[in-house]
Amino acid sequence: MSIAVYRIDDRLIHGQVVVGWGQVLGVGFIVLVDDEVRGSDWEQELYRMGVPPAVSVEFAGVAEAIMRLPAWEADPRRGIVLTGDIDGMVTLCTGAPDRISRVNLGGIHFREGRKERLRYLYLSDEEATKLRALARCGIEVTAQDVPTARPVPLEELLA
Amino acid sequence: MAVAASPVPAFGAVLFRLFAIQAGWNYERMMGVGFGYAAEPMLRGLPGGRAGDRYREALARESRFFNAHPYLAGLAVGAAARAEVDGESPEKIERLRAALCGPLGSLGDRLIWAGWLPACAAIALMLVAFGARAWAVVVFLVLYNLVHVWLRIWGLRAGWREGLHVAGALAAQGLRRGSETVGPLAGLLVGAALPIAFAWQLRGEPWEAVGAGAGGAIVLAGVVRLAAPRANGMALAALLLGATSVCGLLWPW
Amino acid sequence: MSPLEAGAAVAVGTLVGLDLVSVPQMMFSRPIVAGLLGGAVVGQPLAGLAVGALLELFAMETLPVGAVRYPDWGPGSVAAGALAGAEAGGRSPAGLLAVVLVVLGTAWLGGWLMHVMRRANVASVAAWRVALDAGDARAVRRIQLEGLARDAGRAAVLTVLTLAAGQVLAGAFVSGWQAGELIARVAVVAATVGVGIWSGWRLFGQGAPAQWFVTGLGAGALVAVLWL
Repeated sequence: MSIAVYRIDDRLIHGQVVVGWGQVLGVGFIVLVDDEVRGSDWEQELYRMGVPPAVSVEFAGVAEAIMRLPAWEADPRRGIVLTGDIDGMVTLCTGAPDRISRVNLGGIHFREGRKERLRYLYLSDEEATKLRALARCGIEVTAQDVPTARPVPLEELLA
Repeated sequence: MAVAASPVPAFGAVLFRLFAIQAGWNYERMMGVGFGYAAEPMLRGLPGGRAGDRYREALARESRFFNAHPYLAGLAVGAAARAEVDGESPEKIERLRAALCGPLGSLGDRLIWAGWLPACAAIALMLVAFGARAWAVVVFLVLYNLVHVWLRIWGLRAGWREGLHVAGALAAQGLRRGSETVGPLAGLLVGAALPIAFAWQLRGEPWEAVGAGAGGAIVLAGVVRLAAPRANGMALAALLLGATSVCGLLWPW
Repeated sequence: MSPLEAGAAVAVGTLVGLDLVSVPQMMFSRPIVAGLLGGAVVGQPLAGLAVGALLELFAMETLPVGAVRYPDWGPGSVAAGALAGAEAGGRSPAGLLAVVLVVLGTAWLGGWLMHVMRRANVASVAAWRVALDAGDARAVRRIQLEGLARDAGRAAVLTVLTLAAGQVLAGAFVSGWQAGELIARVAVVAATVGVGIWSGWRLFGQGAPAQWFVTGLGAGALVAVLWL
């Protein structure tokens, strides 16, 4: 297992990912799965700025990510795969069945219609249903912003 | 490009407000409300002025969710305000704000919180140990804030100057290179400061005391390290001090 | 400590507490600065600095990174500096041990109160939501001011608590300490330096900085041994 964390975080690459998870796990590469960022040079340039030079960043669209997943998993370095929203991760999980066993909810913030579940996690009922469906497929879904925090299981979040 | 060379409107007021960008920090919008607060003086120049629709729409947009490193947030504030004044589309502005959050946060965390701040603190500690007294604190504040205040001023100016093209300015400034240098520097200084602070505290005491202190410190650090990532150094320190207190109050060693 | 001095310490503690997150983040809230300021309030800046420098080793671990909860050392360090400058804390190692224990507690409490405050700030946003989404500058200003007021209250409470608990506990420790004074001193140094080493490793233990951190430790240890 070369991909240490599959994470949903609407801020994509930020301090918690790089300093929090990256340094603790000794991560060598970060995969940013987002169709819009994939098509935007200036955004890619920005996200590269946020990462230390020893860590490489790959950009992929969601469909492309499904194809490239086996290669990333075979990488000798440890990696983090990030999506900015739940839909992206759901597509990834269904497109590459049995490859992803755990999904980390790292940060989904307030928007109209979302309810607070944790201080860094706001979900609408529809989004909660999507996550439940993931869990039913045998994927362990937990919320954890940084490695030092306790992972909160999905059932507890939605209770 | 006459506008391109224009100075930041209400520069002083905006800079002043940037220092308080986190005053209303909350879990829903994080520093978003502070973002709007800091950007507000720059939006007054929009057509229609403070009573106009453009101004109100822009202020509502700029006050939505945002988070980044506070010292670098001015870069985003300046860029977003400039984009508003240039009449860019709301979608583009929202995209810009969203895209700046993570990278400005991560870059600032590495550059300042895990770099310059511990480096300056380590210098101050060593100065205190070597007898600089209150000067150590003066050096700390001046050294640290030279970089801090410069970052705020540079960020606001560069953001306003570049607007939507701010990513290029960020890359050109060599901040990433700076964060590459400051990490090792901070590591070296903090590493050196720890034994020196220790020696400053227990200098002239008997060897048993020095040995016990060094052993205790290394054991404490090692225990937390081995129990990582869940263990908390603070809790273990409290435990050590609490146990010493109980023993010290009960038994005449 | 006279009532006037205590009042001044609370005022300084409040300003220092605001510095950590709200305004202006110039790091007056670092213990090494806050301790000196607290000592200065009672006319003994250097006694305050001595405690502040020790607490600074604890604070090495604390990086005010984004939304994560972290302890707040500032107000407690002001109080500790003032206590050290007055009779209670600084003169005896047992008193110092008591003060450091109290600051550990209130620093943790400060982080927890910040979490509570950030929730209360969410309520401010909810209360002003309509005006905020209509682009009303008064709503923006109001939310900022409410957050600032809450933070000031938080910092003042922390300073008062540390002063009071520190005064009582340090008094009890100084009069009731049975063991050698050196034991209290060694325990404080071991705890602060131990946390410092752990924090340094956590911050710099990965990648390029790791070898520099170890080099620094080695060089520092050499200087320390020669100097001891």
